[in-house]
Amino acid sequence: MTALAAPAVEATGLAHRYLSDAGDLQALEGVDLALAPGEFVSLVGPSGCGKTTLLRLVAGLLTPTSGRVRVLGRAPAEARAGRAFGLVSQEPGLLPWRSVAGNVRLPLEVTGRRADVDALLRLVGIDRFARYYPHQLSGGMRQRVALARALAHAPAVLLMDEPFGALDELSREQMRLELLRIWEQRRTSVLFVTHSIREAVLLSDRVLVMSDSPGRIVDAVPVALPCPRSEAQEGSEAFTAAAARVRRALEAGA
Amino acid sequence: MTPRGSAVSPRDAADLPAGLGGAPGPAARAGAAPRLPLRRWLALAAAPVAAGAALLAAWEAYVRARDVKEYLLPAPSAVARALAEDPMRFVDAARLSLTAALGGLVIASAVAFALAVAMAHSHAIERALYPPALLVKVTPIVAIYPLFTIWFGFGIAPKMLIAALITFFPMLVNAVIGLRSVDPAALDFLRALDASRWQLFWRLRLPSSLPYVFAALRISVPLSLIGAVVAEFLSGSSGMGQLILIANGDLDTPVLFGAVIVLAALGVSLTALVSYVERRVLFWHASSMGV
Repeated sequence: MTALAAPAVEATGLAHRYLSDAGDLQALEGVDLALAPGEFVSLVGPSGCGKTTLLRLVAGLLTPTSGRVRVLGRAPAEARAGRAFGLVSQEPGLLPWRSVAGNVRLPLEVTGRRADVDALLRLVGIDRFARYYPHQLSGGMRQRVALARALAHAPAVLLMDEPFGALDELSREQMRLELLRIWEQRRTSVLFVTHSIREAVLLSDRVLVMSDSPGRIVDAVPVALPCPRSEAQEGSEAFTAAAARVRRALEAGA
Repeated sequence: MTPRGSAVSPRDAADLPAGLGGAPGPAARAGAAPRLPLRRWLALAAAPVAAGAALLAAWEAYVRARDVKEYLLPAPSAVARALAEDPMRFVDAARLSLTAALGGLVIASAVAFALAVAMAHSHAIERALYPPALLVKVTPIVAIYPLFTIWFGFGIAPKMLIAALITFFPMLVNAVIGLRSVDPAALDFLRALDASRWQLFWRLRLPSSLPYVFAALRISVPLSLIGAVVAEFLSGSSGMGQLILIANGDLDTPVLFGAVIVLAALGVSLTALVSYVERRVLFWHASSMGV
């Protein structure tokens, strides 16, 4: 990506230390990253390397021990107040007492923004289930609802923390392709945490590889695959090369 | 790329529970619990009803055959006669007891929930309020009652207060846990959205606490009856407690049995009412899904 506008997300010298009675933990150290508007960037790393911490720092759910985060040129708290974030976690986090449509309406009620809920449901392919409740849906469909909910208020930055991590392999495949299709349409900036190399390479413009704790970014791997992406590209030379480079960086950083 | 229209796969639809079979529509309204057809309901009720009837018949036969004295063990027929002879005596007493019990329950639940909101909000408030709340719980209510008669006399107020004190703690503890038991992923989503405290409370914390609130009600509804009757018993001034006290003094055992039956029926009805409302309100919670 070559955009020179204010980065969607920018972190400089970011560090975070968890303090606890059991002993302090340096989760992140010296992290620099920049996410261009409309860019899809994945964070890959061993579990416990601080990927989630980094995401929470960006969203302003945590305050960094040192360093600085800017989202659209503003502090995370201001960006939050400007409703810049859509968050999708590993668990869907739906409200079980609300129907599918009610869950997607939630961010609209909170922000006062307006959007066509039916169109959002169609976008993620669950319009037929608008009046169902989360407990009546499969894990894959709940994650679709979570995605529609995260997109409802048209956030500038989509933060995804292993969103497909709890799904079975078939649903994961399907959700990846869905996400690609939606991203093609919406062109939101996406910061995507995963521990799957394949997933990261298939989805991203760039893959940031993190080292084991304390987490640091050890390599930034550009993925030179044409868009729109598809599974067919997985056999391509560019895919294999990018995946190999990510793997080497992971092994070096471990 | 996946074509737009095929986004819902057959696999996803097949994951739906049987009976929803992918058929779209309002399958999931409040109170989705299936209603039992009358015949099936009768079949289910047959066994316990038959057992109860057999027990009553055996009891009646035993009392008649052995000619047991009525003040020791009245026959079911004698109890029924006592109830039928002056039903208003039981109805009036039950109404007073019920008013004291439910009045106390409502006041205690409202105050306890309000305090729970403050305690769930701040650990400092929790630490400040928990010791006095615990003190209320561990102090034998019976020991406090004479004080209440000195302060509040023999009206309904001290009885309500006893019912309130005895039901206060279960609601407080459950509500604090419930208000804190929010889905962390839902909380993160709303916080990343900069939802206000107020929005978090109404849209997330309050509904999340409801399963715990109903669990507390199921405990405290029978407790409130106990509190009211014990208070009436101690003051000897009104309600079922007084009725029992008088019948006891007269060795009028059929009336004693009648009072027990009326109180048991009240307890069962109130518990059933709570369960019914709970199933309606918590249709989304695992406890209402028969799992």
